[in-house]
Amino acid sequence: MTQAKDELLKKLSDGVLEMEEDIVIESANAYLEAGYPVLDGVLHGLVDGMNRASVLFDEEEYFVTDVLLCSDAMYEGLNILRPHLPAEEVEKEKPKGVIGVVEGDTHDIGKNLVKIMLETAGFEMHDLGRDVPLQSFVNKAKEVNADLVCLSTLMTTTMGGMETVINLLKDEGIRENMKVIVGGGPISQKFADMIGADGYSVNAVEAVKLSKSLLSLA
Amino acid sequence: MLTKKQRLFKVLEGTDVDRPPCICPGGMMNMVTEELIDQRGINFTDAHHDPELMADLAESVVVSGCFENYGVPFCMTVEAEGFGAEVVYGSNSVEPHVATYLNRSVTEWSDLPKVDHETGRSAVVLEAIKRLKGRNMQVPIVGNITGPISTASSLMEPVDFYKELRKKNADAHAYMAKVTESLMDFLLLQIEAGADIIAISDPSGTGEILGPKLFSEFAVPYLNQLIDCASERGIPTIVHICGQMKKVYKEVDCIKSHALSFDAMVNMKEARLNLPNRCIMGNLSTYTLEFGSPEKIKGLTTQCLNQGVDIVAPACGLGMRSPLENVQAVLKTVKEGLADDNN
Repeated sequence: MTQAKDELLKKLSDGVLEMEEDIVIESANAYLEAGYPVLDGVLHGLVDGMNRASVLFDEEEYFVTDVLLCSDAMYEGLNILRPHLPAEEVEKEKPKGVIGVVEGDTHDIGKNLVKIMLETAGFEMHDLGRDVPLQSFVNKAKEVNADLVCLSTLMTTTMGGMETVINLLKDEGIRENMKVIVGGGPISQKFADMIGADGYSVNAVEAVKLSKSLLSLA
Repeated sequence: MLTKKQRLFKVLEGTDVDRPPCICPGGMMNMVTEELIDQRGINFTDAHHDPELMADLAESVVVSGCFENYGVPFCMTVEAEGFGAEVVYGSNSVEPHVATYLNRSVTEWSDLPKVDHETGRSAVVLEAIKRLKGRNMQVPIVGNITGPISTASSLMEPVDFYKELRKKNADAHAYMAKVTESLMDFLLLQIEAGADIIAISDPSGTGEILGPKLFSEFAVPYLNQLIDCASERGIPTIVHICGQMKKVYKEVDCIKSHALSFDAMVNMKEARLNLPNRCIMGNLSTYTLEFGSPEKIKGLTTQCLNQGVDIVAPACGLGMRSPLENVQAVLKTVKEGLADDNN
């Protein structure tokens, strides 16, 4: 028996929210089989669940481990649905972001959360990982024609690297083509202003709001 | 007049003292700065490997009027390195950090080797403690242990580790038990070598990352195993937890250490209210210590005292580029507070 579309969308969304990978996989397959529009399944099912998780995270009902597990469930579903997205959706231009933890620092939990949330919000994210040589940010931003560069660090010792990246972008003459946002434990709005970043956000949920508003996206 | 050691011991026992002690334990809560290292004319990387240099540097922290304790080591990589994780030693301005992980999953717990703490950098730390013990009886020697969650998540990719706490729950406990066992061995050897106090820093086991449930399940019991181990030998313990505490005060109160040390974002007045019977330590912003002025730090220290901290300490490890003048301003203010009271 074919399940109703709404019912499956709810299962996809709830499955992500409740970190139930098996339910997400099963529902994603059932959704495909029933022939419902794939994009709806992604946006109103999987992404909806992840958005609900980020609301709970923002309200301090969910914690980092919860969000990581929710995102695992979401990506399991995406792996099933994505190959079936209509060509025009796949080829549709997405805003592009480059993200990484600056050189000297290996703490990347926060960076990973921001990446997950921005991907959920429809960004194409290029993750350079942690302890990233500063020039690599510039090279990658140039290569993918980035709209957004996200720099993260948890350590006061490596904060200076963020300013260096911004200066390197200026030297390359591409600083004005993109927005640069910064975040991490010791970072503040004051520091962001001081080094000439476009914005600072205190957590991953705020980073999405900030990125969208800086790039004038809905 | 109390000695530095007497004052700290009394506070940890919950007895009244003339003024709060001002300490920085070492380990993850590193108290050594570039300026101090340069003054001594040594390489920081050498001090991680040479017990005499390690002891000298620990002693210079007290001599230069920064803090009222000795503490070794100056990083949180000794334990992970003992297991076989590869560590890069940084420079005079960068602390050592883990470069490559040992395991891919907690399911590999049975492959974790038995660590021989009498070799490698563990042995350097133990020898440094012995030498400090031989030099001075008036200054408390803090031996440092990297907490169970932080050690475990230095041995494998932290994101995978956190997810496996739920996904592979039983293996995760087996992994934690094995890691804790090794930490316990190291802790006992530190006490044998002469450590007066054991500080355990578990920056990766925060309430914000784990949430209350996983915090009770994975942070508290393994920390308590270490604490019990020290308590049985009459050695007091300090536990430092990073991040916000709001959601986990109840769980934190289950940690049986003599003192609890908190991060800069924790409101100490609120901590005082939530943990009325605990000895609380903290929580000077290390950002301000690095980038603020001595005047600003004086204000911050006074605020900490007014909020009722029992031990004044930085909220985290010091930034290596923190000016000495700034660091010294903390102890100066704590001592001045005493002078004012006497007037």
